Amino acid sequence: MTELLEVLLPLFVGAPLLLGGVLFVVGKNHPLQPILGMGTLLALLAGAVTLLIATSEGQLLAHQVALWPNGIAIAFVVDTFAALMLTAATIVAVVSFQYMLASGEARSPSIPALVLVLMGGVSGALLTADLFNLFVFIEVMLLPSYGLLIFLSRRGDMAASRLYVVVNLLASTIFLAGVGLIYAVQGTVNLGALAGTGDDPLTAIATALALSAIAVKASVFPVHGWLSRTYASASPAVAALFSGLHTKVAVYVVYRISAVIFEGDSAWMTAILVVASLTLVVGAMAALGEKDMRSLLLFQMVSGIGFILIGISLFTQTGIASGIFYMIHHMIVMGALLLTASAIEHTYGSGRLDRVAGLRTRESLVTAAFVIGSLSLVGLPPFSGFVAKYALVLASADAGVVVIAGLLIVVSLFVLMAMMKIWAEMFNGKRHADVEILAAQERIRTRQGLYDTDIIDEDEINEEANRAIEHIEPPRGIIGEIGDPHDHRGTRVRASLILPALILGGISVALGFGGEYLLQLADQASQGLMDTSDYVRAVIGR
Amino acid sequence: MSLALSVGLLAAAGVYLVLQRGMIRIILGFVLLTHSVNLLIIAAGGAARRDAPFIGGDTSMAADPLPQAFVLTAIVIAFAITVVLATLAVVGSKDDDTEEESEKTELDIENTSSDAGGDK
Amino acid sequence: MTLSAILFSTMGLIAITMLATRFIGRNAGWLAATVLAFLAFSVVTRIPEIIEGTGSFSGLGVIEETTPWMPSLDISLGLRLDGLSALFLIIVLGVGALVMAYSARYMSERNVHPHTGYFAWMLLFAFAMTGLVLADDLILLFVFWELTTIASFFLINRSGDKASAPAVRTLLTTAMGGLALLFAVVLIVTRTGTTVVSEALVNDVWVEDQSFTASISVLVALAALTKSAQFPFHMWLPDAMVAPTPVSAYLHAAAMVKAGIYLLLLFSPALGGTLVWQSILITSGLITAVMGAIFAMRRFDLKEIMANSTISQLGLIVALIGVGTPSALATAALYTLAHALFKSSLFMVVGIIDRQAGTRDIRVLSGLWKTMPITLVTTVLAGLSMSGVFPMLGFISKEYLLGQMLGAGDSALIGVTLTAIAVFASSTTFAYTGRIILGAFTDYRGTNRDEHPEGHEMKEVVREAKPSFYGSALLPALIGLVLGPAIAVLYPLIGAAGSAAAGEIYKAKYALFGGFTIELALSTSIILLGLLAISQRRRLDNFFEGRILRFTAIEVVESIRLGAISIGERVGNPTRTDKPAQHLFAPWLIVGLVAVVGLLMAPSVGELVAPQEPWSDALWLGLLVVTVIPALITRSRLVALILVGGAGFIVALWFFALGAHDVGMTQLLVELLTVVALVLILRRLPSVFHTVGRSRQLLTGFLAVGVGVLATLVTFLFTGRREMSPVGQYFLDEAYNDTGGNNVVNTILVDYRALDTFGELTVIAVAGIVLIGILRSRFMLSEITPDMTKWSNSALARSVDNTLPVRMLARWAAPLIVLLSFHLFFRGHYEAGGGFIAALVGATGFGLAYLGASDDKKAPVAWPYRGLLASGVIVAVLSGIWGFAAGSFLKPIRFDIPLPWGGEYGFTSAMVFDLGVYLAVLAIIIALLNELGGVRQSEIEPISQAGPALIAESYHGLGDDPLVKDSVGATKATTPKKGGTK
Repeated sequence: MTELLEVLLPLFVGAPLLLGGVLFVVGKNHPLQPILGMGTLLALLAGAVTLLIATSEGQLLAHQVALWPNGIAIAFVVDTFAALMLTAATIVAVVSFQYMLASGEARSPSIPALVLVLMGGVSGALLTADLFNLFVFIEVMLLPSYGLLIFLSRRGDMAASRLYVVVNLLASTIFLAGVGLIYAVQGTVNLGALAGTGDDPLTAIATALALSAIAVKASVFPVHGWLSRTYASASPAVAALFSGLHTKVAVYVVYRISAVIFEGDSAWMTAILVVASLTLVVGAMAALGEKDMRSLLLFQMVSGIGFILIGISLFTQTGIASGIFYMIHHMIVMGALLLTASAIEHTYGSGRLDRVAGLRTRESLVTAAFVIGSLSLVGLPPFSGFVAKYALVLASADAGVVVIAGLLIVVSLFVLMAMMKIWAEMFNGKRHADVEILAAQERIRTRQGLYDTDIIDEDEINEEANRAIEHIEPPRGIIGEIGDPHDHRGTRVRASLILPALILGGISVALGFGGEYLLQLADQASQGLMDTSDYVRAVIGR
Repeated sequence: MSLALSVGLLAAAGVYLVLQRGMIRIILGFVLLTHSVNLLIIAAGGAARRDAPFIGGDTSMAADPLPQAFVLTAIVIAFAITVVLATLAVVGSKDDDTEEESEKTELDIENTSSDAGGDK
Repeated sequence: MTLSAILFSTMGLIAITMLATRFIGRNAGWLAATVLAFLAFSVVTRIPEIIEGTGSFSGLGVIEETTPWMPSLDISLGLRLDGLSALFLIIVLGVGALVMAYSARYMSERNVHPHTGYFAWMLLFAFAMTGLVLADDLILLFVFWELTTIASFFLINRSGDKASAPAVRTLLTTAMGGLALLFAVVLIVTRTGTTVVSEALVNDVWVEDQSFTASISVLVALAALTKSAQFPFHMWLPDAMVAPTPVSAYLHAAAMVKAGIYLLLLFSPALGGTLVWQSILITSGLITAVMGAIFAMRRFDLKEIMANSTISQLGLIVALIGVGTPSALATAALYTLAHALFKSSLFMVVGIIDRQAGTRDIRVLSGLWKTMPITLVTTVLAGLSMSGVFPMLGFISKEYLLGQMLGAGDSALIGVTLTAIAVFASSTTFAYTGRIILGAFTDYRGTNRDEHPEGHEMKEVVREAKPSFYGSALLPALIGLVLGPAIAVLYPLIGAAGSAAAGEIYKAKYALFGGFTIELALSTSIILLGLLAISQRRRLDNFFEGRILRFTAIEVVESIRLGAISIGERVGNPTRTDKPAQHLFAPWLIVGLVAVVGLLMAPSVGELVAPQEPWSDALWLGLLVVTVIPALITRSRLVALILVGGAGFIVALWFFALGAHDVGMTQLLVELLTVVALVLILRRLPSVFHTVGRSRQLLTGFLAVGVGVLATLVTFLFTGRREMSPVGQYFLDEAYNDTGGNNVVNTILVDYRALDTFGELTVIAVAGIVLIGILRSRFMLSEITPDMTKWSNSALARSVDNTLPVRMLARWAAPLIVLLSFHLFFRGHYEAGGGFIAALVGATGFGLAYLGASDDKKAPVAWPYRGLLASGVIVAVLSGIWGFAAGSFLKPIRFDIPLPWGGEYGFTSAMVFDLGVYLAVLAIIIALLNELGGVRQSEIEPISQAGPALIAESYHGLGDDPLVKDSVGATKATTPKKGGTK
């Protein structure tokens, strides 16, 4: 059984790419598009879960692709950490894609195919044990991302898309240089062969250069700025998808390399600790200043990266474990919040705090999703965020860096402030009339496929708005609300649009109560990183 | 040393162009940066042995083939991205320098399709 | 009933009641009340066990239950019932029952919604409080602590539009406390190594490490003071008055604020008696006591008076806990009970008056004593208990409180001072009790200005409430009356509570009349002073009219919040731009930092393998200098492009010189294509670059030089200092045996590291798809065509003739080129060549054909390149899967094909793979020429028919009206024009 799994590992890359290729060929409205798309993602999820089960006791699966000798071939290796990441990433992908189906974005040409190729790249990047191959798969991730970003963006201008491409291109170039230097010094780019070479100063510098390139992709301070700019101009669903994949894969690489090559060398870990703390503070503060729901959330994402990196920088059993737990939690919750934002923007045509209002009395489901998401993000019980934060704070205190423990706690107060800003402005308050206009405008835009730079006739909008107010009945909220029933007439977020966010929210709740299971897996993964001997053996067989 | 200097020169030029105004110079900058990195990777294999790595005949002076394979892959990928970037440079307007400078480069979309003469 | 049973039935009650509201609406309150009352009773029945049983502290019984929750973090559902938690549990459940019963009548009968949410949140609150007082696990404690915070937030937030700001302020304040508690918990866990409250609190570390104890004291105090609305965190409580009256009743009497008191009592065994702890609690407590009492004297809204009264009363309790002697702690417990009784009663009374009379403003209310006698009686009973009048329960608690104050501290002076303050606060309490009663029931208006608050009108006819309504208010008041004389029944409970809080056995004993003591004298004086104040109320009102503090606490909190936000804006500003340069700058700083620091720390490097280099190297370098430098300086885009292209060719020469022939070839071809692509782009852009400011040139130039130097150093120091890598040697030795190919590089590409190539061709294919997609969904800038008019009758204008030679060439060359490309493809495995190079060569054929076309639309290559691109990937994957036949993905399979003209061709499945590469590369080049060549511009329509769009100005921020016409209208006018081809 295990042997079979090992041999099949390359299919985690091959299958999505093959079906992606097929979807490129079949027509835009062909029924296969959604079926194959979702089917493949679900199959991938099943596969990931299988890997997770197979590695849950700390076993490793490894395969030398094309059966060349160890160290010559590119090795695909799965340990608990990789399997965990793959599973989480695929969950986010499945749910985001479900949203795209609901919102109709998945009907645009090549979108399902691009998502599949993207996932193929993600699997490759997570499974490979070869640095150059890693570079290749990061590119395989990036190109479909460019497509997704640009095709689904409704921005009339291309500034953000250009920014996204050039920043990533720069990072890739620097990373490649780093890999080159590693080869120059060590004569190999095989992670197994490189294990522990971090104590050689030259190798350390080369690796650090590669890592600083990865830092750009992970949006670590001071190279975090591009994220909120570019993701905010993508379709919100795409932003949700990316949030679970790109930065997280980058963080995964940081974890892996720090463990395998540096073996937790204190100097480098301290460096990471400093950067991470700065990132989480800057992210949380910058979020406070944003005036748009999505950009605010995106800065929370930056802050989250800081939280996650604290875990590895502690380089203790519990530290890494809680870091990994936090990462999974963050992928899920960020997805939930961004998909909530997506549903709002898709229906009301804006995520601007000062435009949309009164959602609390209009949208019980959206409110539920947002509340779960934000409370979890802030780290309040009984959500996954609490377990994650508590574990991380405890680990920091255990590791003796009480200051960091305090910092983590103080920062979450700012996170709360930021989320409250969204709550107070978008969910409380009234102004339903203006919101109705926005929504009407958005519906027309969507119907006619216009860019934000195109203008719509005012009467047309008002007409549309009135139609909504007349025809859409107020549903009975699951939570009864105080307020004039007439506020409740008009546009509504379709249930199918908010469902994805609720699913992720549900997962967050489950991880809050049943955190134990994930904790054990994270602990298992952490062991794999603390002692990489098994990993090395799996890669180069010694 | 010349090799190292070439890498340095290309890197410097690349960085300089990348940080200038307008997509074209950024693209050209990246082209140079890529050259620099590719040279670096070949150098990583060592510049001492310079025979082409073909089998048959004596390979004692053959260069390290692996970096060459790396660079081949890297060149192609870089080319693919450059193409995408190049396309991005001419769609959607609203780039810093897509209009004649004489007209105010304030991103005023109306003037983008100026049929005024270009190079003369 | 087991503790978990109690806990979970409170949880289940939430769901049940929510359901019930659907059918019986507000009457669901009765249901909830019954259950809660029953639970409270079941707790009472267990008190004996606590007294007799044998357990932790000195013979005092406790009931414990533990079920593991998250072993990895050592979190368990540890529940524990000792005297303290029993007392609070009874308060929580009992008052909860009263409030629920009350709500069943208070909540309006006809409302669009059946109050489902209201009951849900209230009962969640009850559940949270139950869990809080039962929790014997530090994390569990924190969980329920935060749960109360959340519940209170939503209870306040959901009550109307004015509630938003107060709710947020409440949340931020209490959440801050919660975080302090979390920090304390973490520190305790790490320090004591246990998460069990009862174990952690008896750990030796408290005695041994004073600084630790002190810091925990601060954190816990912070948590409790925010929760109990003590100075300086008092503001949220009056602020939260927007919530419906039953909510306030519960928050003030039993739930929210009492949680703080419970926490203080809970930690007393560990923290009690330490200086930090005492000083914080006593100071904050007494300040709050006085401040609250005085504020109460200045309010007109009965509810606000009550709120401030709560703050003040709790202040006394907090101070009492600060004193910290066993009897003090026991008295604190007693006082808490008394307060729960009279304050719940008073709040409910306020609600009744509000409902019956239509307002709660004492400036408006008058004459209710005639119409609402029972309400009056209730108010008076509760009021007397609050102001500590014989024989109320409040009398006893207050008298013993004073006694403790007197005994407090080492020197008599301290005791006297504390007592004095307490006496002042208490007499003020008496005074505002009078204010409440007179203000509500007589025509006393509480002010001498005859201003009339608008919107506050008293109903014409005011009736007494129905028994079902006032019953729940009257009951606690009566209990307060009865328990005074019957104080003895409370001994066991209060004793147990006191012992639990003190951490040592304590037998409670209170006397309603303990002889003529100082305490009695003090109580009497309090009453006398209070009466005096009431008689002099008109003068006092004048005195209190003026504003006492220059700022309100609310303003402080707001300014902090807004301050944080503005800081946030400043933090975000540097990156708030889409200009690439801003974002491409930062990475170099990190890279530079790493490199510099690294190089400084790096030790000596190994020897160069080949110290001296061939003279030709210098030549390549020189050539690079003369091509690259001008490329930086020129302002003509075309010149720059050509120079950069030239640099590319020189780099190719470098590759050849270094023995990388395939690389060199590829480099040449790619360079050619890149230049072609960019030329197609340049047609649509101005001919010259835009000027760049001097300062920017200097800055970027400086950075560039820096990077250049570092790159040179790094390359020089890192490379060429080791022998051939073992991997490389392996390829040279084994490539032929392994793969049958002589071109080692190619074997690496298609055999050893086919996975890389696989990824590479995917990148190519997707790039092609993206390219097409972009051009389909977006309008290209239109070409800036040279003005041909002045050449109109010259040869230049006749494109048909001009392209003739090229077309002739193409006609002959194209087939040859295609053949050549096939040749290269098939020999690739053995000599320089391979799928990629072959495809590039083949593509140049199309390039030629394109250049030969007399105009764009006639450019003859219109293949289904979209399909070609995809097929490249598909073929590659399939060849990979074919590999499984030999045991692994992409494992090459070799066999010889006999050739018709004799001999045989060594075929390997790697060639199929290479075919994938060929297809993808060929396709993207054709796509490139066609799409950028501008053939398809006419059929442009936006791709994305779905997905969110933001209205134009919501991103560009023009004005506030969502329908700014002119600013956006412009684009409407021009977009189609840009689409049209020329």
